[in-house]
Amino acid sequence: MGRRILGRLGAALTCATGVLLAVATAASVSRATVNYQTPAVTLVRADGQRVSLPHELDDGRPVLLNFIFTTCSSICPLTSRTLEEFQDKLGPEAARVHLMSISIDPEQDTPSRLAEYARKFHAGPGWQYYTGTLAASLAAQRAFDVYRGEKMSHTPVTLMRAAPGKPWLRIEGFVTPDELVDDYRNLLTAP
Amino acid sequence: MPNEARGAAPAVALALSLLMNCALSAASPGPSAGERLYQRGQLPSGEPVQALRQGGATVRGADAACVNCHRRSGLGSSEGKITIPPVAGPYLFTPRGKSLERLGVPFVDTARINHEAYTEESLARAIRDGVDGKGRLLNSLMPRYAIDEATMSSLIEYLKDLKTAPAPGATSTVLHFATIITPDADPVKRRGVLAVMNQYFVDKNNAAARTKAPTLYSSHATMFRVERRWQLHVWELTGAPRTWETQLRAHLAAEPVFAVISGLGGSDWGPVERFCEEQGLPCLFPNVEAPVGDDATFYTVYFSRGVLLEAQLIAREVAGAGGGGRVVQVFRAGDVGEAAARALEAARAGSGQQVVNHALKAHGPPQELARALREAGAADALVLWLRPADLGALEHLKVPTPRVWISGEMGGLERAPLPPDWRTQARMAYPVDLPGQRVVRVDYALSWFRMRKVPLLAEPVQADTYLALGLMSETLNHMADAFVRDYLIERIEMALDHRVLTGYYPRLSLAPGQRFASKGGYIVRFTDPQGSRVTPLGEWITP
Repeated sequence: MGRRILGRLGAALTCATGVLLAVATAASVSRATVNYQTPAVTLVRADGQRVSLPHELDDGRPVLLNFIFTTCSSICPLTSRTLEEFQDKLGPEAARVHLMSISIDPEQDTPSRLAEYARKFHAGPGWQYYTGTLAASLAAQRAFDVYRGEKMSHTPVTLMRAAPGKPWLRIEGFVTPDELVDDYRNLLTAP
Repeated sequence: MPNEARGAAPAVALALSLLMNCALSAASPGPSAGERLYQRGQLPSGEPVQALRQGGATVRGADAACVNCHRRSGLGSSEGKITIPPVAGPYLFTPRGKSLERLGVPFVDTARINHEAYTEESLARAIRDGVDGKGRLLNSLMPRYAIDEATMSSLIEYLKDLKTAPAPGATSTVLHFATIITPDADPVKRRGVLAVMNQYFVDKNNAAARTKAPTLYSSHATMFRVERRWQLHVWELTGAPRTWETQLRAHLAAEPVFAVISGLGGSDWGPVERFCEEQGLPCLFPNVEAPVGDDATFYTVYFSRGVLLEAQLIAREVAGAGGGGRVVQVFRAGDVGEAAARALEAARAGSGQQVVNHALKAHGPPQELARALREAGAADALVLWLRPADLGALEHLKVPTPRVWISGEMGGLERAPLPPDWRTQARMAYPVDLPGQRVVRVDYALSWFRMRKVPLLAEPVQADTYLALGLMSETLNHMADAFVRDYLIERIEMALDHRVLTGYYPRLSLAPGQRFASKGGYIVRFTDPQGSRVTPLGEWITP
């Protein structure tokens, strides 16, 4: 540990140290089609109801799934805002797609905290938040390959599926609301 | 994070608070426009700032405040694969080729290297248009802010003023720490906590002395010392709580410290917490059974909500158990059980269930218990916020109801001296991990106590103290030489999730807006009429 710090210090000290505000990279978003096995875990919805994850995913509607935590200050506010605008852009159609946000910090994110978070992002009726035991949240994170060791290591991932039994579209990175609407429409019209 | 206004305040209170605000604003100029924008996302008009993200998403007000990502210290953070760079002045404006360390600016692992320095003009462009000095797009997380010239200037001034120099208490050779002990703290626990702390500081300094190359010389004249000697200042408070803040300010003036670590409180930690918040002084993991604060504080961080968490656990049980009857609570006046009883009563408010609180005299004889217990009928829920001496005195008293809960925190966890008749009935709030599951993690501390001949006087608080010191040591390693107090808190938040050895707790986790690292507990009952085996009645609960 000490050696690594020394190494990092050394590396930094030998470099010229003009510094920039933020990474000068354009947003990069990647997409892949993937099959996932849904674990049969029980979650607790923000309304306090205990629900089965497979049951919530397979309610017949197209589903859009992501993972958040309410005290996340950088990534989640952006991804949650994107889903809010996605719902806005769909208008009346929004209720026909099921948005699901599962907490990766379930011990902190009680149903009431999640409900408050949902209000903050004006979640429409089609958008539900979920918590539960740590084990249940981990099982869901692992099943959808978003578990990165601990909450601060998480990355922005949005998953979308047209119907039960169909494969998932996995979108990595900060997708814009417009791109997300396009992805959604393409997914529904795909053979 | 600014608090949302909660309901309408009564007219008198409002008038008083307006008067106080006027008095305050007359006394100090208040935060600058730049600071309000950075910390709260607020424009000088009081309106929320508007910002636009790449791709068109809008963000406003507190959600658009710079502090969310660049943090209160201005030294940046990281989330996932995204590194958010420092924005404290020197990191932005130092010309290429000038080395920061020569200017006395600490190394932080979020700093970008090999980039052109900003000018005020190019920085304003970055903030407004999201492009760097060379016209390249910034990361999509960075919003573009619609702010006028005056606000921009104030913001840039604020960034220039963000402190990067070592805080008081961090000298080139010594790191000064304080620990705070209130006069109502348990004397046995006090000895236990101080024995651990003193030995830890001795060990720390011995290890530093043994290390042959504790210093790192850069190519320049400035010397970076990764290892500094640790010095402990024990601030023992005296007298009434209302005098503590003055005493603490005097201690801090006489002995400037970088941070306050561990320590021990009794029933009122409020003055200490207020002092730490007011002074901007990290106050890490004090042994306090009834923390006063909430998640909105910044500088005070606790392992657990203690008896207040237990109150939530028991309230949940009482609600779930159904049946009629009242909740009868028994506690000693002036002890932490009083705050716990209030918390449980608040949690049951609106349920329609009657809550009866029976306060025993402070330091009164255990015989008073008999009278208090006559209060409870067979259909009532009885909650005992009592210490071991009172629990032991239950021996000749009949268990009045099958629905009895006791506080593990106050009663001594599985060592609570509960008489056999009561053990078969009582359930215990247990805000730590189960004995069998924590044994390896706690043994680490216990072995260290044995090897160092630290007397084992009060295992849980001593284990927590050892854990707090370990966390401090580990976090400081990650901070290298950036001895900025806000940054210490931010790094503790980051470091805690990685921690494997978490002592009495199954896991610890913090974040901005999270000030209690362990969130839950069990409800247990004694397994046998004698001994210290306990059986959990269900899973770990996070109420």
